[in-house]
Amino acid sequence: MNTSPATCNSDPVPNRAALDRAISEACQRIAPLWPLKHFVAVNPFLGFADRSFHSTCAVMHRVARVEMLMPREFYTRCLATGEIKDRDIEGALLKTPANWRVPRTIAEIRAAIECPQTQPEQHAAHVATVAEILDALAGGDRNTSRVAFMVDEISKWCAAYFDDGASAWQLPSRDFAPYAAWRASMMHDRNPEVMGIRRFRAIVATLPVDPTETIRAIIERLRVPQRAVSEYLYQALLDISGWASYARYLVWNSELYGKSDTTLLELLAIRVAWGYALFLQRDDHAFISAWEAAMRDAASIPLDERLGDDPELCLRLVLQDAYERAYQRRIIERLSLESVQPSSAVPTRKTLQAAFCIDVRSEVYRRALERTSADLSTLGFAGFFGYPIEYVPIGHIRGGAQCPVLLTPKFTVREALQGESKAKEDAVFYLRRLRRRVAKAWKSFKVSAISSFIYVETFGVSYASNLLSDNLRLTRTVSDPNTDGLDPSTIKRLEPQIDPGELGGRPTGFTAEQKLIMAENALRAMSMTGNFARVVMMVGHGSTTVNNPHATGLDCGACGGHTGEANARVAAMILNNAEVRSGLRTRGIDIPDDTWFIGCLHDTTTDEVTIFDRGEVPASHEEDLAAVRAWLQRAGSIARAERATRLGLAVDNSLDNKIRARSRDWSQVRPEWGLAGNAAFIAAPRERTRKIDLGGRVFLHEYDWSKDSDFSVLELIMTAPMVVASWINLQYYGSTVNNRVFGSGNKALHNVTGVLGVIEGNAGDLRTGLPWQAVHDGTDFVHEPLRLSVFISAPIAAMNEVIAKHEGVRNLLDNRWIHLFAMDDRGQISYQYDRTLNWIEVKQISDA
Amino acid sequence: MITDLVWLAFLAPLSFAVAATVPIRQKNSAALRAALATCAAAIALLTSVGAACWVGIAGRTHTGLIGARGIGFDLYLDALSAAMACLVAFVGLNIILFSRNYLQGDPSQSRFFQLLCAALACVLVLIICGNLFVLALAWIVTSLVLDKLLLFYPERRAARLAARKNAMIGRLSDVALILGIVLIYRSFGTLDYTRIFSASEMALATHNSATLNAAAIALVLAALLKSAQFPLHGWLLEVMETPTPVSALLHAGIINAGAFLVLRMSSVVSISDIALDTLAVIGAITGLFGSIVMLTQTSIKVRLAYSTIAQMGFLMLECGLAAFPAAVLHIVAHSLYKAHAFLSSGSVIDLARASWIPSPSEKPHPARILISIVAVLAVTFVMSRIAGASLLDKPGVFALSAIVLLGLIDLVANGIDERPNAYVLTRVIVLAFLTAGVFFALQIGMEHLMIHTFPFAPPLRSIADAVIVIFVVLTFGSITFFQASLSTSAVKRWTNLYAIVANGFYVNTLLNRMVMRTLIRRATANDNTLTILEVDDMAAVR
Repeated sequence: MNTSPATCNSDPVPNRAALDRAISEACQRIAPLWPLKHFVAVNPFLGFADRSFHSTCAVMHRVARVEMLMPREFYTRCLATGEIKDRDIEGALLKTPANWRVPRTIAEIRAAIECPQTQPEQHAAHVATVAEILDALAGGDRNTSRVAFMVDEISKWCAAYFDDGASAWQLPSRDFAPYAAWRASMMHDRNPEVMGIRRFRAIVATLPVDPTETIRAIIERLRVPQRAVSEYLYQALLDISGWASYARYLVWNSELYGKSDTTLLELLAIRVAWGYALFLQRDDHAFISAWEAAMRDAASIPLDERLGDDPELCLRLVLQDAYERAYQRRIIERLSLESVQPSSAVPTRKTLQAAFCIDVRSEVYRRALERTSADLSTLGFAGFFGYPIEYVPIGHIRGGAQCPVLLTPKFTVREALQGESKAKEDAVFYLRRLRRRVAKAWKSFKVSAISSFIYVETFGVSYASNLLSDNLRLTRTVSDPNTDGLDPSTIKRLEPQIDPGELGGRPTGFTAEQKLIMAENALRAMSMTGNFARVVMMVGHGSTTVNNPHATGLDCGACGGHTGEANARVAAMILNNAEVRSGLRTRGIDIPDDTWFIGCLHDTTTDEVTIFDRGEVPASHEEDLAAVRAWLQRAGSIARAERATRLGLAVDNSLDNKIRARSRDWSQVRPEWGLAGNAAFIAAPRERTRKIDLGGRVFLHEYDWSKDSDFSVLELIMTAPMVVASWINLQYYGSTVNNRVFGSGNKALHNVTGVLGVIEGNAGDLRTGLPWQAVHDGTDFVHEPLRLSVFISAPIAAMNEVIAKHEGVRNLLDNRWIHLFAMDDRGQISYQYDRTLNWIEVKQISDA
Repeated sequence: MITDLVWLAFLAPLSFAVAATVPIRQKNSAALRAALATCAAAIALLTSVGAACWVGIAGRTHTGLIGARGIGFDLYLDALSAAMACLVAFVGLNIILFSRNYLQGDPSQSRFFQLLCAALACVLVLIICGNLFVLALAWIVTSLVLDKLLLFYPERRAARLAARKNAMIGRLSDVALILGIVLIYRSFGTLDYTRIFSASEMALATHNSATLNAAAIALVLAALLKSAQFPLHGWLLEVMETPTPVSALLHAGIINAGAFLVLRMSSVVSISDIALDTLAVIGAITGLFGSIVMLTQTSIKVRLAYSTIAQMGFLMLECGLAAFPAAVLHIVAHSLYKAHAFLSSGSVIDLARASWIPSPSEKPHPARILISIVAVLAVTFVMSRIAGASLLDKPGVFALSAIVLLGLIDLVANGIDERPNAYVLTRVIVLAFLTAGVFFALQIGMEHLMIHTFPFAPPLRSIADAVIVIFVVLTFGSITFFQASLSTSAVKRWTNLYAIVANGFYVNTLLNRMVMRTLIRRATANDNTLTILEVDDMAAVR
């Protein structure tokens, strides 16, 4: 490609197909953002999975001037404390491409890091948007450049358009598609002109009606070189990356159900149109020459894969690699030395088997539970237990999708009343709806324009007691949404109804055949096909927090940002079904008659486990149940004591109360640490890790490859739980290395917008990712930014087959978003995946 | 002298001042500072409650003056200052309790508590002092401390803008206040409350001096500027750039300073009809403005800010209509409500998860307004027997009752949708009864409590008053009906009106643009390399 300015200015206008490609490429780079009502972790680099980690760092640096690594001081400190050892640097250097401008010996690296940091060089081929040029001309003052105003205005409009019930008077044009709606609003909106952006309404009126045509026309007018169109559009989206991410979520959801969706493209058209309006404001020489220079720069070819231009970036990439090797060295050592050989003898039958979610928080609790008795065992599986359901609470017609966001619910399960007639159930159903209607009228009285004056003057004084009781943790600020409108006696008797039925014209429950198929699949996926204990617990998890906009983010991600209660109970109910059991027997899974499944919920904030459907447990199991309850109590205390250190609490007699108080505290911004610290994923039999304290940092998936004849379970693990774990891991990574861009900032400034996301302060873009308080305790980072290390106990050939078959998995591995290791039959970590289906031997480590 | 005991009330601001200024050198200074602040708040609350009891037993008390010629330092305790002191100490205590965990780990948590305590100390001095000289000092220092709180995160661009705007309007308000005080001193030769009150009572009876009129207007202006009244309300919208507890403190404490000034000086303000009418008109406009813009807002904190603007307008309206006891009630009620609303603003997702829509279709009943008017008239018939106010007697109470009526119509109307249901309707009507009952009981109670505090509420003074009351009732009524018809298709087509309202009538954007220009001038003065800025600035002017 010729990069001289003359040619780039005479570049042909992109044809529609090329433009469509550029647009879709830009849109694909944006990661989705789930709304706060069911907030789940997302890999912020999802759109870059097809690129290597290091070239993504380079692209981010070049295109958006965004950091994706820790600051240098962080690595310096790790070197000083000895957390990174020489051999880690050595290992990292061995894997460093030859063309990186980076020292090649340990001594030189150590010397280089002591040198003052070189100013990052101006990258060639930077693609600047109108906004960025304006910022640069205004000396970085976004008020003067009006870029801040543009972002605020787009964000405000998006909040009004996407609003999920915050405003009483909604945007009149919100029934149209986004771009048409925006044009309709902007024809009347004088705000930009009041701010001094001349002829804004007239400019909008001249734009084409079709969003893609608008983008095309503007690209043409701005003379963006063809090479840079996609990057130009991507960078434009980055200015409003929060709302773009929410639009991407809407697209994601539509595509999951096989529909196409242009929301993000239309939002892009809005953003580009704004930039164009700002462009038209300036005809002064300074701007025009800056713009022409920028477009010349944009036309040159980037060198992202070479990185050679930026020694600072190379140095930190090497150190990040060494930092991860240091962690891997430590965990491999422990796995190798402390791993226990599964005994070949027929294992004895236990009283209790407990299946937990793979969530890293379960690791602490499982270890604690195992310490209480030898008569039990635990295993890990995705917390939806293989049941992708839509769970409809009583009184409702529709419910939430309780399955990983990569899937769509296959079944609808409604909440019902234990052992009640249809008439009684209907009564509760309608009563809840009527109460809701009264509550709705009352709420509207509270917040309506005129009546709010009267409400405040009449009932305002009563908030004195609310203030006090909320501060004393006696009350919740608002009633619990899950039980609102139900009597306490009713709440205790709610249960999922698994038998076929109908609700709002849709079939609910499972047919006998579906029950059997689901049960078999779930058991096989859990490697749970024999030697069932007398009591088998299915333990989902959820959190208890108050006044926390990100509360659902602490619930189960495998249940789509809901608690795992419904899935665990459905799983247990189906497996207790006599018909299902006889069916399973014919398929080779023999569950003894004296095995009983119970659904449970692990509260990750308080480490308490609730047992559901106790009334159903046969009398023969009362004794077992008493033992189980005693174990759970002790396990809870042990787990709380372990977590206390990280929460900054002293371990004493009042600890249990302190942790419970924390879960009810409306001012608590760190009720629990969530998945902070996560670093590894192990798919192996529990015996391998049972003796090892993994510190609540590891996703543990039960997997026994000897029971997996066609390796379909392996395929499942590598394509679903492993990918989801990596999403979580990279979300924490992003929010730690650069909270400003990939995180959602300071909780003390959070302002919930449109009932779907948060902004920081009074305006600005929607924020994505985790709050600063979720990764930092005020003194130090609680999360360590490590890419996920995956250890799978399976034959390398079988893993290669899965990697070869699934491009998504291959991208994650080949591009180093995940490190994969193979665990051999002796429990040793023998091989590490390199790339393109090659494995390299892991040198045995002996720390002298 | 037994009145010397009243000096003990000074413990309330003093304890906060100590907590704000004691140097702490320990490593965990934030935890120590938090403990200190909590103790200070507890002492302040106990002191304030004690002061309230004293007032209940001994009546209002004025300590002797430390100073000369009517200028100096003294304390004045009556039902108003005791109620306000209790309110501020209580809200302060709750905000401090909240901030202990909420800001844990923030590198500036200790400084936060210092500023919070300093602000509370200033506000308490402002409330219990007995002399306009001290009030003015406290008034000015409060706004300086507020400026520091608004800039708690000085790196935030929008925070700087908000602080600058607040400072500009704050200075204007300071000037108005000082002008008012100078005029009062010229008229009465003293700044001492007791003597001002008795002198102004005489002035009210004898003649209407121009100087006093001007003083009243200056005080009212100072109050209006301080209370985020239209069109200079903008700064209040942007204070979310500092941590949530600051918003709570501001919306539940500091913002009330203007209304407190009017209430404290009600005997002076009542002398001037123009001053009262200004209060009523600006208050009514601000109330309407805030409440209608609030309907369009999508973020919780901005919505709460518009709600505060509306409530402050309503408060000023009450003052302007000389419904002073109602205004005190409104300050207390609104502060408690808004403090809780801000601190619990993170619960909005929980609230939304519980707020699912139960009706099969959301269509309201076509005749619901009519039905609810009938229902509410019935309620009113019963209630007005108890309250018994006519337009001529107490215009303020009349306007208030009319607005209560509108509120209840709204409540009942919301309970009637396409398929009216007896369960829903009876409960909504019971709630309407309850609301009306509590409302009037509180009003009457407050009037008894404040019986010696305020000048006798004058009956309808002029045609102007009648016009204002009728204007208020009509406009508030039309907004109620407008909101009830929001879901109809006709309103949905008013794109233009929506754009105007959602942008707050463009007032704040204009103000921002002007303030930004002053910020740029400052920057240009500091740095002469920014020639580009001037180019841009000129482009903006063009």
